[in-house]
Amino acid sequence: MLTGNLWMVDSTGWVVIINALVASAVLVGLGRFLARGRLTSGVPEGRQVFGEFAINFFIKKAREMSDAHDRAKIVGTVTPFLGTFFFFILLCNLFAFLPVPVVNRPPTSFFSATLALALCAVFGNLLLAARFKGPGGAIKHLFWPNPLQWVSEVTDVLSLSLRLFGNIGGEYMTIVLVAAAVPVGIPLIIHVLGLIPSFVQAFVFTLLTASFLAGAIHHEEREEKARRHWFGRRRSEPATRS
Amino acid sequence: MNPVFIALVAIIPIAAGAVAAAFAMRHISVTALEGMTRQPEIAPQLFTAMLIGMALVEALAIYTLVVTLVIAGKIVV
Repeated sequence: MLTGNLWMVDSTGWVVIINALVASAVLVGLGRFLARGRLTSGVPEGRQVFGEFAINFFIKKAREMSDAHDRAKIVGTVTPFLGTFFFFILLCNLFAFLPVPVVNRPPTSFFSATLALALCAVFGNLLLAARFKGPGGAIKHLFWPNPLQWVSEVTDVLSLSLRLFGNIGGEYMTIVLVAAAVPVGIPLIIHVLGLIPSFVQAFVFTLLTASFLAGAIHHEEREEKARRHWFGRRRSEPATRS
Repeated sequence: MNPVFIALVAIIPIAAGAVAAAFAMRHISVTALEGMTRQPEIAPQLFTAMLIGMALVEALAIYTLVVTLVIAGKIVV
């Protein structure tokens, strides 16, 4: 097959491992570069602006799933968790745009890599839930209120990994097959179209991990408060609110 | 088995999955666009929710793609 084996490590599997290592190295180096120098809590300047812009969205997502009393703990733990997924998957996806024939295989076009990422996401969610609610709360979430709720964790692994693998692997196969058929001109258009799933799939993986995590670490009293808030608001007349 | 027969069988799930996912995605994007034009101030939240919904629908099409890849892997040339 022209595109190599999609499921297991074969003769071109080393490319995938080296690309993932290069992506990790780039991510770590970029993070250390952005965090270097004087960091201020006031008006940022220079590279701190870029760093804060990059993680601002994840801070917002983490704030949405926290209360006032545990906000610092949740934001400090969840933001790096989500940001690492987004930027690592994005860098891995962008390997498809290198103009070198064998090296341009993105690690996420490989089912083992995406399965590993999805397992990291789901087990990381469990560990974070155990940290915020205690181990009993995390295990209770798997069996209560629905005793079969642990099945959804298994299907989360499958759906996260298969979605990422299908999108990026399909994009990579399209690029390779089109470049084999028409070597000049047309692959450029396919590359530009391929930028969209690269960003969207990294974003979607992170968003779904965040929503699973928000479901895993929510508290009963917070849910009760939200229910009273919403139903009380509906009973009161809506015209008094803006 | 005949490789042509396997290829013809492998086409069926991806075609059905793509058609169904196209209808579902049309519904999602039309509804989200209507909401965005009616209330532009909540457009970012709607866009995020639209992306999540589209990803969930797209996962079904991707499952059929995986089934197609598995069937196509049986072709021995």
